[in-house]
Amino acid sequence: MSLETEAGSRAAVAELLLSVADDEFVIGFWDSEWTGIAPMLEEDVATSSIAQDEIGHARALYELLATLTDDDADRIAFGRDSAAYRHAALLEHARGDWAFSVARRWLYETADAVRLSALARSRWEPLANLASKMRREETYHRMHADAWLRRLADGPRDVRARLAGSLVRLWPDAQEVFAPLAGEEELVRHGVLPDPMAALHATWQAEVRANLAPIVGGLAPAQPSVDGRERRTDDFRWLHGQFTLVARSEVGATW
Amino acid sequence: MSSTGERDRVWEVFRQEGEGDPMIHSGNVNAPDEELAMHYAREFYGRRGESQRLWIVAREAITELDDADLLKPPFDRSHKKPGGYLIKHKLESARARAGEHSGE
Repeated sequence: MSLETEAGSRAAVAELLLSVADDEFVIGFWDSEWTGIAPMLEEDVATSSIAQDEIGHARALYELLATLTDDDADRIAFGRDSAAYRHAALLEHARGDWAFSVARRWLYETADAVRLSALARSRWEPLANLASKMRREETYHRMHADAWLRRLADGPRDVRARLAGSLVRLWPDAQEVFAPLAGEEELVRHGVLPDPMAALHATWQAEVRANLAPIVGGLAPAQPSVDGRERRTDDFRWLHGQFTLVARSEVGATW
Repeated sequence: MSSTGERDRVWEVFRQEGEGDPMIHSGNVNAPDEELAMHYAREFYGRRGESQRLWIVAREAITELDDADLLKPPFDRSHKKPGGYLIKHKLESARARAGEHSGE
């Protein structure tokens, strides 16, 4: 395959890698905001460890992207202006309360699982291998998110209400994990992305609407939008300022 | 979460370092149910890939025996220990006798 050599294909693959990497990177940083203040000590360690895993996945993806575009993984992760990040609108919000974080993680983990199962079948081997590796760890993340979703859903009225409110609020932005990519046609044609985002979205939405029906009483069908990965807000600009703080303090430093 | 009004339970965690190794008590975690206990045990005793297997046991499922009358009897029970019965000398003399008979 001419992926590595054809400039057009390379740009399309780069966009795909960047979208997945930025999703993982940004949710990792939001969830790490719980370190020290999670509901209990054990959960504190679990949440922090999962957040670290996500940043680890982002790192592997940035490294793959860097070899493709002859760039540097650290530069991609920490050297971009906040407007250049391509995470989905779902990951744009500040961490909120615990119910909000659980709702977001659950929506993200379910979407990520659908996306990863497709990427694991990618005809571009480096991506298929990395996706398969990530899936092994994401299985555990998904179990953890399921456990918390059920706990809050079975909790007292105010807990249930907070969870349901967060799910409803995040629902439109959750679609954006499957926002169409500019070079998507080419990716599908080459088998880099085995199924179009629209097909992955349909799979995810059917599953998630059924699972959430008992908690929120039916979510209206929704669609991803074209700019679903380009909406940067003050929430993210603040987070970006936080996670680039060290890198900016001594540009080019190594450790 | 304290708002759910539940009491956290204590779960004792045993870990096995390699296949076939004994399960060794590692410590415990607090968790409201078995599912989260499993996650927390994994995070505390397995997230660095250091464990082959974990056993997570609700503390209340453990039958504890620490009665001194049963475990530390007041009388001399040294004869119940393998070392308390001095078979060594008997063995030596038996071997000596056997040696004589074989004409050494």
